[in-house]
Amino acid sequence: MSGNDRIADLNRDYAERYGFHDAEDYLLKAPRGISHEVVEMISRTKGEPEWMRETRHRALDLFLAKPLPDWGNTELLASIDFDAIHYYIKPSEGSERSWDDVPENIKQTFERLGVPEAERKFLAGVTAQYESEVVYHSIREDLEKLGVIFTDMDTALREHPELVRKHFGTVVPPGDNTFSALNTAVWSGGSFIYVPPGTKVDVPLQAYFRINARNMGQFERTLIVVDEDASVHYIEGCTAPVYSEDSLHAAVVELIAMPGARIRYTTIQNWSTNVFNLVTKRAKAYERAVVEWVDGNIGSRLTMKYPAIILAGEGAHGEMLSVAFAGTGQHQDAGAKMIHLAPDTTSRIVSKSISKGEGRSSYRGLVKIVPGASGCRTNVECDALLIGEKARSDTYPTMEIAENDVRVEHEARVSRLADEQIFYLQSRGLDEDTARLMIVNGFIEPFVKELPMEYAVELNRLIELEMEGSVG
Amino acid sequence: MPLDEETVRRIATRLEEGEAGVAARLRALEVYREQPLPRRSLHLWRYTDPAALMPDGLGPLPAEAGGAPGPVPGRPAAAVLLRPGEHPGIEGTLPAGVTVEPLDGGDPRLGRAVPEVRGPFEAMNRAAFDAGVLVRVAPGTAVEGPVWIRAASGGGAFLPRILVDVGEGATVTVVEEHVGGAGGFRIAVTEILAGPGARVEHVPIQRLDDGARGHLTVRTVADAGASVATSFVSLGGTLVKMDLGARLAGEGASSELLGFLLGGDGQRFDHHTVHRHEAPRGRSDIGFRTVLTGRSRSAYTGLIRIEQEARGVEAYQENRNLLLSKEARADTIPELEILNEDVQCTHGATVSPVDPDQAFYLESRGLDPVEAERLIVGGFLEPTLARVPGGVRELLEPVIAARLEALGAGR
Repeated sequence: MSGNDRIADLNRDYAERYGFHDAEDYLLKAPRGISHEVVEMISRTKGEPEWMRETRHRALDLFLAKPLPDWGNTELLASIDFDAIHYYIKPSEGSERSWDDVPENIKQTFERLGVPEAERKFLAGVTAQYESEVVYHSIREDLEKLGVIFTDMDTALREHPELVRKHFGTVVPPGDNTFSALNTAVWSGGSFIYVPPGTKVDVPLQAYFRINARNMGQFERTLIVVDEDASVHYIEGCTAPVYSEDSLHAAVVELIAMPGARIRYTTIQNWSTNVFNLVTKRAKAYERAVVEWVDGNIGSRLTMKYPAIILAGEGAHGEMLSVAFAGTGQHQDAGAKMIHLAPDTTSRIVSKSISKGEGRSSYRGLVKIVPGASGCRTNVECDALLIGEKARSDTYPTMEIAENDVRVEHEARVSRLADEQIFYLQSRGLDEDTARLMIVNGFIEPFVKELPMEYAVELNRLIELEMEGSVG
Repeated sequence: MPLDEETVRRIATRLEEGEAGVAARLRALEVYREQPLPRRSLHLWRYTDPAALMPDGLGPLPAEAGGAPGPVPGRPAAAVLLRPGEHPGIEGTLPAGVTVEPLDGGDPRLGRAVPEVRGPFEAMNRAAFDAGVLVRVAPGTAVEGPVWIRAASGGGAFLPRILVDVGEGATVTVVEEHVGGAGGFRIAVTEILAGPGARVEHVPIQRLDDGARGHLTVRTVADAGASVATSFVSLGGTLVKMDLGARLAGEGASSELLGFLLGGDGQRFDHHTVHRHEAPRGRSDIGFRTVLTGRSRSAYTGLIRIEQEARGVEAYQENRNLLLSKEARADTIPELEILNEDVQCTHGATVSPVDPDQAFYLESRGLDPVEAERLIVGGFLEPTLARVPGGVRELLEPVIAARLEALGAGR
C-alpha cells in the first residue's frame, strides 16, 4: 500500500504549513508552576470577588489531591510537566472594543487563519481570546437590545456577578475531575452568554481561541445560560502555532438550557500537535430543552474530551455529532455522554473518526438511564475509517441501563479506505488523489453539513491540505 | 485455611502430585501474593467488587459432599466428575487416541492460555486447584459425543481446573457444567489448546446453586485453521463473573461464541468476552444475549482486539439485552481495539423490553401477554439452544421453563 505510506506522512509538515507564531510581548506573566501564590495573584490581578478567590483556592486543593486519570493514554498524560507551565499571562491592557484597536500582530495571526475581514464583520460577535485574556470583543448592537449578554468571563464576573455566581460550577463542579479542578483554580477568559426568556438569537455567536507562548496553558472558562424558550448557536474554533515544548489546554465549558430552550454548540479544535487538550464540556437540559454539540477534533497531540448532556427534565433531547482526525503522533480520545435522568428524554450520538498513518482515535462514551426514566430512547453510531497499516481505532462505549421501558441502540463499524471504491472512482476518470479525497469528504459529510458555511469551507480546505500532502 | 505454602503442599499431596507440581504451584503462589486485588477503577471490575468473589479461606480437604448430582444426560463419550480434593471420577469408553485423566500441577501446558499473571483469581487457581482433568485428543481423531465434565461441590471454596489439548485436525466437544456450590466460592479456570485445523466445541454451563459465588475463566488458543464454537449458558449463582474468550493465534483461525444468561431475583452477573486476533485472516463472531427479570443485574464487557499483524480479519459482535422487569438492570460495554486498517469489524448492542410489535402480534392471535412474552423470550434463546449437543438441551429446558414461569408470577 504505497499510497497509504504516503498518507502516513500527513501532518509531518505542520510547521511549514500552519506553523506561525508571534514574538512574545506580555505585560504580566505568572512564574512557571502552580501554587496558592499563583492562584492568589491571578485572583488579585483580576480584582475578583471574595467567593471566586475562595473557589479558586479550594479547587487548587482538589487539583493537588487528585491523581491523573488511570485510564486513557496514561503514558502521554504522565509526560505533562505541570511545573513547567505558566498558568497566567495577561497580554495587554484592557479589552478593546473596536477592530481598529486590536494589536497588529494579533490581526496578522487571524489573517493566517484565513478569516476574511468582511466575514468577521458579518459575524455577530467575535470574542478573540489571545493568550489568557480576551483582547477583542464586540457585540452587535441588536444583540444588546435583545438583552443578550455576550462577553468574556472576566467581564461577566465584574458586570453580572449574581448571574455568574448562580451558575458557575453547577454543571461541572470543581472536583469533577483533575482538569476541571485545575481549570477552576486558574481559569482565565472564555465566553459568557446569557439569553433572556423567549429570545431567539438568529446569528451564530463566535469566538476564536489562540495559544501563543512557550509552555503556556490556556484555561478558558465558558458559561452559557439560555433561559426558557430561548435559543442560541455558539461557535468556537481553535488553531495554534507550533512550539517545541508541550502546551496544556484545559478548558471547562458549562451550558444550561432552561425549559424549552435550545443550544447548539459548535467547536472545532486544530491545536498544533504538541498541545494536550484535556477539557470538560457539559450541558444540562431541562424540560423540553434541546442541546446539540457539533464537535470536531483535528489537531493536538492528545485530546481527551467527552462532551456530556445531562437530560434532567422530561422530554429533553440531546444530540452529539463529532468528527476526529488523528494523524501520526496524535491520539484523539473523544466521545460523548448522555445521562438520562428524566422520563421521555431522547438522545443521539454520531461519531466519526479517521486514523491516518500511525494516528490513533478512540471513541469513549457513556449512555446512562436511571431507574424511573421510562420512555427514553437513545441511539449511538460510531464509524471509524483507517488509513495506514499502523492506524489504530478503539471504541469504548458504556451503556448503563436501569430502566426497562426504554430503547437503547449502539452500533459501530471499523473499515479502511476501500480499494474497490478508489478503483471505481478511478474508472470514472478521477485520479487517485481526488478519489481518496472524495471518499474522505463523503465520510465526514454528515458532520460538515451541520457547520455554518464559513466553517465548512475552512474544514474542507483543511482536509484537502491533509490529503494533498499524503499522496503523490 | 489461608492460601499459603502449607495449603498448596497439602493439596498437591492429596492429589498425589510430584515435586514438579508442587514447584509450579508454589511459583504461582508467589505471583498470587504479588498481585493486589484489582482496583475498582479498572473497567473490568467497575461493576463487581473483587473482594466479594475472593474466598476468605480455602475449605478443609476434602470439602463436605455437595448435593449428589444425577447422571449426565444424553450419550456422552465420557462423563467426568470433579469434586474438591479428589481425583476426577471418569466413566465411559473412549475411542483410541483420546485420553481423559487427572490433571497434574506440573503439566507444562498449564498457563499457556490463562497465565497466572492474568489476575489474582487465575493465580489462585493455578496455585491451589483442588481437582483437575486433562483431556487429550490425538491428531486426526474425531470424538463422537461430548466429553462431559461436571464440577460439583458443597459450600466452601472449590477451585477446579480443566485442560483440553486437541491435536492437529482432531474434533471434540467438551461440556463444562458447574453445579452445586451453595454458600461457597467457585474459582474455575479452563484452558483449551486447539491445534492446527482442529475443531472444538465448548459448552460452558453455569447452573450453580442459589447463594453460590463464582469466578470462571475460559480461554482458548486457536492455532492456524482451527475453529472453535462456544455455546455458553449462565443461569445460577448469586454473584457470578465469567470471563470467556479466545486468542486466534494462527492464521485463518476462527471462533464463534453464542450464548445467553438468564437472571432472576437479585442475581448479579458480570460477564466478559474477548476475541484477540493475533494472526492474519482470522474470523470471529460473538452473539451474547441477556434476559433479566426481578431485580437481577448484568454487566457485559465484550472486547474485540485486532493486533497490527492480524491483517484481513473479519470480526463481529452483538449484545442484546431484554429487560423484563422494572428493576432489572443491564450495563453493556462492547469494545473494539483495532490496530491495523485491513479489517472488517462491526459491533452492536441493544437494551429494550420485549418488542411490543411482536407481543401485539402474538396477543392478536389469542395468546395472553404472559404467554406471548414467554414465547418471545424462548425464541430469543433459541439460537444457542439449537446448537448445543444432545443432552444439554434436555438438561436446560426444565430450568429455563421454571424461570419463564416466574415471569408471569409477578403480575
